[in-house]
Amino acid sequence: MISIFLSHQWKSFWRSRNKAGSIAAQIVLGFFMLYFLVVAIGIGFWMSTLIEKFMPGINPTVIFNGLILYYFLFDLVIRIQMQELPTLSIVPYLHLNISRKTIVNFLNIKSLFSIFNILPWFIFFPFVILNIMTIQGALVGTAYLLSILALVFFNNYLVLYLKRKAINNVAIFGVGMLLILGLAGLDYYQLISIRDFSNLIFQSVAKYPYLSLAFVAAAVAIFSVNSIFLRNNLYTEELSSKDDKKVSTDYPFLNSFGKVGELAALELKLILRHKRSRTSIIMGLLFLAYGFLFYKDKLLATDQFGAMLFAAIFMTGISIVTYGQFMFAWQSAHFDGLLVNKINFRDFIKAKFLLFTISCTIITILSSFYGFISYKLLLLHLAAYLYNIGFGTVIVLFFATNNYKRLDITQSASFNWQGVGATQWILGLPFFLVPIFLYVPFGMMNKPYWGLLAIGLFGLIALLLRNYWIDLIVKRFEKQRYKIAEGFRE
Amino acid sequence: MIEVRNLLKTYGGRTVVDIQNLNIRAGETIGLVGNNGAGKTTFFRMLLDLIRADGGEILSKDINVAKSAQWKDYTASYLDEGFLIDYLTPEEYFTFIGSLHGLSIAHVADYLKQYEEFFNGEILNRGKYIRDFSKGNQNKVGIAAALMQKPELLILDEPFANLDPTTQIRLKSLIKHLNTTQRLTTFISSHDLNHVTDVCNRIILLEKGKVIKDFHTDENSLKELEAYFGE
Repeated sequence: MISIFLSHQWKSFWRSRNKAGSIAAQIVLGFFMLYFLVVAIGIGFWMSTLIEKFMPGINPTVIFNGLILYYFLFDLVIRIQMQELPTLSIVPYLHLNISRKTIVNFLNIKSLFSIFNILPWFIFFPFVILNIMTIQGALVGTAYLLSILALVFFNNYLVLYLKRKAINNVAIFGVGMLLILGLAGLDYYQLISIRDFSNLIFQSVAKYPYLSLAFVAAAVAIFSVNSIFLRNNLYTEELSSKDDKKVSTDYPFLNSFGKVGELAALELKLILRHKRSRTSIIMGLLFLAYGFLFYKDKLLATDQFGAMLFAAIFMTGISIVTYGQFMFAWQSAHFDGLLVNKINFRDFIKAKFLLFTISCTIITILSSFYGFISYKLLLLHLAAYLYNIGFGTVIVLFFATNNYKRLDITQSASFNWQGVGATQWILGLPFFLVPIFLYVPFGMMNKPYWGLLAIGLFGLIALLLRNYWIDLIVKRFEKQRYKIAEGFRE
Repeated sequence: MIEVRNLLKTYGGRTVVDIQNLNIRAGETIGLVGNNGAGKTTFFRMLLDLIRADGGEILSKDINVAKSAQWKDYTASYLDEGFLIDYLTPEEYFTFIGSLHGLSIAHVADYLKQYEEFFNGEILNRGKYIRDFSKGNQNKVGIAAALMQKPELLILDEPFANLDPTTQIRLKSLIKHLNTTQRLTTFISSHDLNHVTDVCNRIILLEKGKVIKDFHTDENSLKELEAYFGE
């Protein structure tokens, strides 16, 4: 029976409606997976060399032991955000003469087909086999393998259980993140030590291999808890989280913008009431940390803004990039309704500009904490901000008139390629290249501040010309609206 | 009120709508009938300028609907759930639609009072988004929002489908009432011949995009239609 289910799933994957258009996206996703796998294998095989290189003089096994629980802690966080619940796929089977046990088993098995369950094999197993089995014997090695495998299962079913229980994923994700970051912080300031704890545990496992059975027991326990919960609650209504009372809301601040504000408020509700757009916001906030990767002391000291420009544009314009790339398609479900109602297309486009400007301003203010690193970063962000609201918005909205792909916004955003088309790939080019082209000549003449000024001025001028851009986009929108509406209807 | 001239729409070489000449006077209630694929919805979409005609034109008050958006001032419609903004509560949706026509929140609330009977206590103050309602109740929201705009021209696609019997009867008397009191012009498509002959004073029968029959209803209309579809 379960093999029949799995073959149905396989078919549903290959025959899915939006597959045809997004083969390219699938391939890219495949490459990502492959990349992660290769990295994992690399880490796995060269683990002992890596450990000796980064932490010389310490026994690699001690470090390795310390890493295991650390890894699974972070694995837990990422899973909470990324791992999907295989729920809705069972609806067509519920009314048939199939026992609940079979269906629950199917759900449990299906959840195992996930990259999160494969990566640890490649990361940990080579070291265990190469370094631990050869030195400490086959029994200890097997105990290690068993423990790690059990941890994989444990995380897998724990996350499924938590997610099924949780009403609000975002909150759980936040709490989980705080918990983990808290633990990591405590570890960093040496109040507690996860690594020592992990090391202690696995040294005990090495000493008394049968201790690994404790991990297995934990995995079996959470597996049964999850199964029992599923078996008792196998109602799609209860498995899909909702049913708190919804209230009507009003945004007085936006009302002061008249009809445009009305439309902007409409869209703000869209963003807050759908999973995909909400995840985009959270991703955007996480990307605020992006600067720590790019803003290096050396670059700052020598005023090399060119190297940091991309990060600045990306961070301050994250809302424009993530939300704007699918523009108009967010409203694909009710696009017909927008067209037949008495909505002025000019107001419609202006509302988008308004929303972008507000969100961009908020995120730029949030990002100003980089000013503690250097005041120069504030200048950089100001230039990037002006460019984003002045010209970035225009690019995004202009490209939006070429986007005919319906977007299903009720699904989560992570690893979701539905609705991705050529537009999203092309869009990035002008968006990021224009400011770099503006900066490069000044950079080469060694006048970095003039470069920032050029970008800022360019953005400001574009901002002052906004009415012209709006006319341009409205005209184009009027011409393209039949095609857009037709695409969204599919 | 509405004038259709040489309207043509084809999809992949197959003609979906092909209407040579059609005139609708103000105050008429038109029932559009025909089997699946007859071109009813496609015609409505062209009437609402949602798809581009391959040829010909539709004039609403002598103005081509594809050239100017003036018709939006006096036209209200509900074709399918794609017209609803489904992540809003019904109250928010009504307020939004009302604001497009310059109605204040108080006006909208006042207006909604007269539809309490129509809603049957199932729509307002339920603490649900529109997407969480059943299809029949979504229909009610769409139809009420259309009527709220005080239109001169009303376009409804299959309004009786998914509605419960009580609401079907209430909707029929509502349309008849508006027709006599406000000289509302209405387009209704339906598969239910009883309803159509009951509520409409003119029937247009489409087959493969062409107007086959066009007549004013009398006591024989239902039999005539049944004879056609029974063949």
